[in-house]
Amino acid sequence: MVAFYKKLAFKVVKKAITRQHDLNYLFWECTTRCNLHCLHCGSDCSKDSRHADMPVDDFLRAVDTIENRSPYFTVVFTGGEPLLRSDLELCGKELRKRGFRWSIVTNGHLYDKQRHISLLNAGMGALTISLDGLNDSHNWLRNNPASFDIVSNAIELAASSNRINFDVVSCINQKNINELEQLREFLISKNVRAWRLFTIIPIGRATNIPDLSLTDQQFLTLMNFIAKYRNHNEIDIKFSCEGYVGRYEPLVRDSRFFCRAGINIGSILIDGSISACPNIDRSFAQGTIYTDNFYEVWQHRFQPFRNREWTKTGQCASCKDYKDCQGNGFHNWHGSKENVLVCHHAKIENALKNHSLS
Amino acid sequence: MVKNHFTMKRNVIRKIVGGISFTSALFVFQACYGTPQDLGFDVLVEGQVKAKSTGLPIKGIRVAVADQLQYELTDSEGKFSFYAYKQEGLKLQFKDADAAENGVYLDKDTVLTGLSDRVSLEILLEEH
Ligand code: SF4
Ligand code: SF4
Repeated sequence: MVAFYKKLAFKVVKKAITRQHDLNYLFWECTTRCNLHCLHCGSDCSKDSRHADMPVDDFLRAVDTIENRSPYFTVVFTGGEPLLRSDLELCGKELRKRGFRWSIVTNGHLYDKQRHISLLNAGMGALTISLDGLNDSHNWLRNNPASFDIVSNAIELAASSNRINFDVVSCINQKNINELEQLREFLISKNVRAWRLFTIIPIGRATNIPDLSLTDQQFLTLMNFIAKYRNHNEIDIKFSCEGYVGRYEPLVRDSRFFCRAGINIGSILIDGSISACPNIDRSFAQGTIYTDNFYEVWQHRFQPFRNREWTKTGQCASCKDYKDCQGNGFHNWHGSKENVLVCHHAKIENALKNHSLS
Repeated sequence: MVKNHFTMKRNVIRKIVGGISFTSALFVFQACYGTPQDLGFDVLVEGQVKAKSTGLPIKGIRVAVADQLQYELTDSEGKFSFYAYKQEGLKLQFKDADAAENGVYLDKDTVLTGLSDRVSLEILLEEH
């Protein structure tokens, strides 16, 4: 009964938040340069260096159009590898002057003590570092034999700060699915307090590397692992926002599935395009900061993000869970958009069905 | 008139949604490829370090947050400015970091209490 009312309350609030569509999380794809050549890159993002880094002034001019700034509005510097830019601190200070908070997503290779200090001094408030397994599996995905050690040092450094809201993300694949317990122990030993797990989107290069995607059974293993440790205090473990997971919904993250792309999450991409999460198909761009007023675009466009009825196609058309899922995470619609790329819910149900048959 | 009513309604919804969003962990979010939101607190610490005897600014003084890695060196005007975790009794340590290059000064510690979002300090160091 309580669960029923909780679910209902969530639906009502979700509707209100969607109608309200307050922007309070903004990605800035500040560079597409990168210092690594990860196996999965190009699958979940379009990382190349055809574009020059966007000048800070261009970005700030767009940010200055934003009205109604919530007190926790966070600007997320992403890339490529953002730390390749030496002016992040300058940009960060300007954002703080304007009342915004800011954070960085990094592969950790350039996160040394000096940079840690200068970023903190400039008012960085949150940080995410990627670690994709124990030594061999991480280095395999990152395509670099020294990466694990470098990233481990960066993680230790970040975890030592009492100021930043820091977490580690791991891309779970066939090489590291059997290391989850050890990886958890490792992160606890490094004083990491939050760990987020996600899976790969099967597009681009990832489709040619079968080890990158989890089988249905492995995905179920991942869900069970997260559910098992959700309520343990040593480290906060959660599944990322990437998809609707049916019966595991209340068990694997803080709140039920809610893809906030274009509802609370916006982005300014490397070429000035205005969109939501950077892993979303670029054809969904709603305008460009070079000819449009950023905030007007946010306020008045973004219809495909705020009304997801168009996703009632392919396998989602006749889905019983559509109301709760609404076509899964927005980033699961690429190319022809005739069908959702991944249905996490179906993966779970298939695994359970096969399990009971065997 | 219509606009006012509309704006009021939006603000009411915003208050309700905002209240729920930021008081309940249930509604704090982050995108898969993003970071957590920054819900923490910090203080902008700014100021100038001068010589007690002459009143002149001192360059190269290391202004450090006690028990943390964070520090900044004063510039040619003796100025410093950085964000630090907001906590009662925040302790700053002022230390002459460049030996005799800009004169030699005694160390000094300062404990900050009753912090708001921004604090401005004038620190006078005694010569050795
Ligand atoms: S079929 Fe579509 S709507 Fe249904 S659970 Fe899967 S992704 Fe979601
Ligand atoms: S588009 Fe994907 S990454 Fe962005 S909020 Fe939705 S599910 Fe999360």
